[in-house]
Amino acid sequence: MENELRNAIRELLTQKQVDVVIGYGKVGVDGAIGALFITDPSEVDAMVWNDECRQNLAVHLTRPEVKALGKAAIVVKPCDARAIVVLANEAQIDRDNLVVISAPCTGVKKADASGHKTDELEKKCLSCVEHVPQNVDVVVGATDAAQALDAQNQEVAQNRSAGHQTRLAELRAKSPEERFDFWKKEFDRCIRCYACRQNCPLCYCRRCVADKNRPVRIDSSASLKGNFAWNILRAFHLAGRCIGCGACANACPAGIELDLLNLTLANAAQDQFGYVSGKTLGEAPLIGTYDTTDKEEFIR
Amino acid sequence: MAKIGVFTCWCGENIARNVDVEKVSEAIKNLPGVACSMNYKYMCSEPGQSLIASQIKELGLTGVVVASCSPHMHLKTFRKTCETAGINPYLIEMANIREQCSWVHPDKEIATAKAIELIHMAVEKVRRNHALAPIKVPVTKRALVIGAGVAGIQAALDIAAGGVEVIVVEKEPSVGGKMAGLSETFPTLDCSQCILTPRMVEVGQHPNIKLMTYSEVEKVDGFVGNFKVTIRKKARYVDINKCTGCGSCWNACPLKGKIPNAFDYNLGNRGAIYIPFPQAVPARPTIDAENCMRIKSMAKGKELCGICSKKCQTEAINFHDKDEFVEVEVGAIVAATGYQLYSIKKEQENPNIKGYGEYGYGKYKDVVDSLQFERLISASGPTGGEPQRPSDHEVPKTVVFIQCVGSRDNAKGISYCSKICCMYTAKHTMLFKHKVHDGQAHVFYMDIRSGGKMYDEFVRRAIEQDGAQYHRGRVSKIEEIVVDGKKKLRCYGADTLAGQPCVVDADMVVLAGAIMPSSGVTSLAQKLSVGYNEYGFLSESHPKLRPVETNAAGVFVCGACQGPKDIPETVAQASAAAGKALIMLSQPMLTREPEIAKVDENLCAACGACVKACPYQAISKEQVLDRRGNLIKMTSRVNQGLCMGCGTCVAVCPSKSIDLIGFTDDQVYAQIEALCE
Repeated sequence: MENELRNAIRELLTQKQVDVVIGYGKVGVDGAIGALFITDPSEVDAMVWNDECRQNLAVHLTRPEVKALGKAAIVVKPCDARAIVVLANEAQIDRDNLVVISAPCTGVKKADASGHKTDELEKKCLSCVEHVPQNVDVVVGATDAAQALDAQNQEVAQNRSAGHQTRLAELRAKSPEERFDFWKKEFDRCIRCYACRQNCPLCYCRRCVADKNRPVRIDSSASLKGNFAWNILRAFHLAGRCIGCGACANACPAGIELDLLNLTLANAAQDQFGYVSGKTLGEAPLIGTYDTTDKEEFIR
Repeated sequence: MAKIGVFTCWCGENIARNVDVEKVSEAIKNLPGVACSMNYKYMCSEPGQSLIASQIKELGLTGVVVASCSPHMHLKTFRKTCETAGINPYLIEMANIREQCSWVHPDKEIATAKAIELIHMAVEKVRRNHALAPIKVPVTKRALVIGAGVAGIQAALDIAAGGVEVIVVEKEPSVGGKMAGLSETFPTLDCSQCILTPRMVEVGQHPNIKLMTYSEVEKVDGFVGNFKVTIRKKARYVDINKCTGCGSCWNACPLKGKIPNAFDYNLGNRGAIYIPFPQAVPARPTIDAENCMRIKSMAKGKELCGICSKKCQTEAINFHDKDEFVEVEVGAIVAATGYQLYSIKKEQENPNIKGYGEYGYGKYKDVVDSLQFERLISASGPTGGEPQRPSDHEVPKTVVFIQCVGSRDNAKGISYCSKICCMYTAKHTMLFKHKVHDGQAHVFYMDIRSGGKMYDEFVRRAIEQDGAQYHRGRVSKIEEIVVDGKKKLRCYGADTLAGQPCVVDADMVVLAGAIMPSSGVTSLAQKLSVGYNEYGFLSESHPKLRPVETNAAGVFVCGACQGPKDIPETVAQASAAAGKALIMLSQPMLTREPEIAKVDENLCAACGACVKACPYQAISKEQVLDRRGNLIKMTSRVNQGLCMGCGTCVAVCPSKSIDLIGFTDDQVYAQIEALCE
């Protein structure tokens, strides 16, 4: 699969269909996998595709310095492709000026505290039904295995009985006081490094509300009060938008389970409005649109 | 350094009764930046205003806080004071210590403490106020009137008489509306057609009026003074410019007299090509495509009938006519879409409203609504003015009129009074008596509401001179029975004054159904960004002080689309709306309040949340270009003419890149901080 992907990218570059390809490569210390920007066909072999490609590369699409490189192609996991749909729907990228390449996925492996690969699948992969790429331009490789995985996970996804959904259910089973204590402990560790924001493909504001100081809307010191305000506000800004890639939780140096906050709101969006973000190109965002047939009467 | 003057008003006793004004003044004196703190019995009076003005001049104040009533009441007054005293009128803030303090808190100590806090907040806000200049927008000197009933006709004629071009859009083939179908009108009993038709003709001929019948408003873009309205001209299949209205076509139509005429509320019939009534304006026919044999056959690839086209000597008939869209530019819009009767039948479209199964409306032919009865006693009606009951065309001798059918009935989902039914029912009984001398009218009523010039006298006349029997009570059920081989409607009522049941065997029953806004008004209101209540009546801007304005600048309302009303009131309101439109259109430039939203285009991420949230379609996504015309970025941008300063966009913006000028986040946070100190 990796080679087929390289060939596809090489062709795009040699034929000058794109100026830059954003893919995965061993770019970090110890060969940790991150974003690799390829502009020359001869560099294509540095590109990798394996079960350590945890990052969601879509985060780079909205960066001005990446946009300045010209027309781009991007390699994404099928689940991450939803971020591109949301970005296009929110008019942050010109979807016609972007080539999205993907390959069927069989899940990525968790990393341990020091960043080394373990044998365990990522929590979100346990209930994933998006192993086959959707809404992408180029699909490389056979989809049989991925399809089988999708079919296999259908039930757990529906019942929300695996991975981070079970973790969330555990938490929700607790009393409000216990839950509050849990989040107090979590947020107490937050150092306000904003790695969650920087790694989130949907946190694209040019200047974040947390960085504005006239007036100061959120206490910017890493106090418990300010940490609550920041993390809750970020979750609200992602309500009906978050695609659950888990980039925030993976990036968090304090190991805060941020994905659970976003998952709560994503579940609510699905249960209340039947809305799953990033599924359909051209779809109106959940927040900011209304329907006069809404079940809530106040809207009429 | 800020120099803020604080002026606390006693409002006579209104504020001083529950707020220790002296104590408030003293406390405020010590706030940083406050240059003077004074109080006076009536701050809005001439001496009060002079006090403010003199302090502005003497101390060189940079901001003013008036602690008194609601800004709705006197903000304009005090802005003027500031302006005449030489400072920008937007450097004044009001602290409402009357409605929101002294009137609602009986405890003087608590109220005084609250007044101090409210003023403190206003001081912190005014410290951050900036001088603002009103926004000027150009204005298109043309008006659009939607609906051509008596309200629309009056509004259009008045605007046209003011020398301004008017476009009148009417969804029916003829102007005239509901009034054209009425018999005679209370309280003078002059014939409706006699007083209306000259006006209809005038609308059709006025050089300043462009009439667009059989047309509907499709889309409204733009903003006050500069609306762009798309009008759908429905396919009429007759070119009204070529047609002379000779009548050869409608007299030759093989379906003549076979299709129920909606103008007669289906009591009379017409053909497939028809004019709704002989006095129609324009006196040009329309083809009813649903029934026309030729048009129906064309869908199957055949060409049947076509007799009308053969009879037409001016070749005005075009069976291939299509809906057309016309875009017009107007500066002001008057909505005059009128009313319809609530459908009394058991089955209702609106789930919140229930019908009357027990009255047999729609089941018994001789139970009719009041608009149908109008047609039955109208000289131009299907019976030529002779009251005939629909089932067997016999002249009824006993007629029962039931008032408040739907109206004032919370159980049916309508809580309001329809206002005109008491009067027209009295009129019905009179007209009936005048036509059927040995007839007897019975009226079941809840109350008689006959407020108005010569109105109560009119009702008394119906009772005392024309002998209508009034029973105070309601009818619980109507049953069709046969007495001596004749169909009768047995009405089981109650006479609550006599305290006994009251059963009347009637030949005919007339139900005074509730007045509802005409169908489709809510979608029109959404296009116009005008508010409406739960029933669909359009909302005026202020029930007393701005009765024909709406919250959408440049859009005015008149007639029954705003609420039930009779003809005199409708005409008065239509003239008022026309006057307001003329005032607006007579200005070279329009002035708008500068307190609107503003996007920080450097920071905007162009996510479009505000574009979707804006209830006035005032925000659009625009390009930011460099000097060479290269695209730098996208941004949201606020149209100054459209923005009403509601602040919804500010609330939804995730990166807080929009602010409301005059109500910036900086100001609001400062107020909250002042409160929390």
